[in-house]
Amino acid sequence: MNEFKEAKQVYEETPIPAELDQRVRAGIRQGKAKRARRAWGRRLGTVAACFAVVVGALNLSPTMASAAADIPVLGGLFQILTVRSYTDENADRTLEVEQPAVTGSDFADAVSAEIQERVDAKTAEGEQLVAEYKDAFLATGGSQEEWEQHDITVSVSYDIKSQTDTVVSFLVESNVSFSNAYWERTYYNLDLAADKDLTLRDLLGEDWVTICNDSIRTQMAADPSVYFDESMGGFTTVDETTSFYIAQAGNPVVVFPPYAVAPGVMGYVEFEISR
Amino acid sequence: MSHIRETQLTTYLVENQARFYRLAYSYLHNREDALDAVQAAVCKALEKQDSLKDADAMRTWFYRILVNVCTDQLRGRKREALAAPEDLDPGSYEDPLPGDDALARRVEALPPELRTVIELRFYEELPLKEISAVLGCPLSTVKTRLYTGLKKLRVSLEGEEV
Repeated sequence: MNEFKEAKQVYEETPIPAELDQRVRAGIRQGKAKRARRAWGRRLGTVAACFAVVVGALNLSPTMASAAADIPVLGGLFQILTVRSYTDENADRTLEVEQPAVTGSDFADAVSAEIQERVDAKTAEGEQLVAEYKDAFLATGGSQEEWEQHDITVSVSYDIKSQTDTVVSFLVESNVSFSNAYWERTYYNLDLAADKDLTLRDLLGEDWVTICNDSIRTQMAADPSVYFDESMGGFTTVDETTSFYIAQAGNPVVVFPPYAVAPGVMGYVEFEISR
Repeated sequence: MSHIRETQLTTYLVENQARFYRLAYSYLHNREDALDAVQAAVCKALEKQDSLKDADAMRTWFYRILVNVCTDQLRGRKREALAAPEDLDPGSYEDPLPGDDALARRVEALPPELRTVIELRFYEELPLKEISAVLGCPLSTVKTRLYTGLKKLRVSLEGEEV
């Protein structure tokens, strides 16, 4: 065993760079900052949950609802809040779900039901993908141990883009962490007063296709090198299936998924269309 | 409470930085990469400090993070570029290992999974049980790797209890 003492000595003589201490301290700073950011996210979640209780009360009691309508902030604070927010962890994957719901009318309830369905479908699809990936991983020579080192997350979350007294625009995003191909965004633009899904035609009028196309072409022309041209399968025209959301100022923002009109590194590409 | 934990953790990390660097260096054989790995592992440790349930297990817990960061880097490197044959260290493919070389050199030339066990056991002086926790594999696997490694190194333990 004396041999190992020598070997250990050689190992311990590995020269230590002078900047190591600095790098360790930098790591400590970064880690603390990242943790603080995550904690803030958790706290926001709690705040949202509190609001959910308030909103629940508003919906149950007409007196309370009419009283709250007079309070400017709460009146404007629309009935879209997290109803289910949970994480579930097992050996194969972590599940993170933040599910929005809209309340206030029959139409809103129908939308909530649709969101619920979508979130459940996305969650199930994510679980299925993970199971398939695991089988493939083990079948091609990966070991159980190596599999367990993967940290796969299936997440479903939402983001509110804008809201007014009657209109709310938000997006539901689902993602399976082992591949960006399973990153999906669905936009919802709801007019709760009229009980309907808003379309670009509603926002821009009969000429919506021309208005969008002209605006998008002009914006693309400002930076032509970034986008695919038509010969490369780039942008041709918007249609009923084009995704969009409503910006806080009320303008629609058209969204193209990665690779649709520009190289994948551009990610989602957005064009605000002025009204 | 968690504040005390964080202070404890940063103290531990600052005080033992040389050990971490040596371990990272033994994996990566490159000064810049080893520094990056240590910094990344330290950052991760602070970020995920809540996952450390038991302060006594701090060493095991952190070594595990560090070893994972290093193996991830190695894996990424493999994807990046295959080394030209003349750049390869002959020790990495010549088997049996040159017996006359110093033991330290021979340890370096071991396949990574065997080398890690040997290094943690004899250089960092971790008990086998802790090595199994660091690597996240069963104790029996650690033992097998240890004995396979020793056999390759042609070191006999002569009654030594490991």
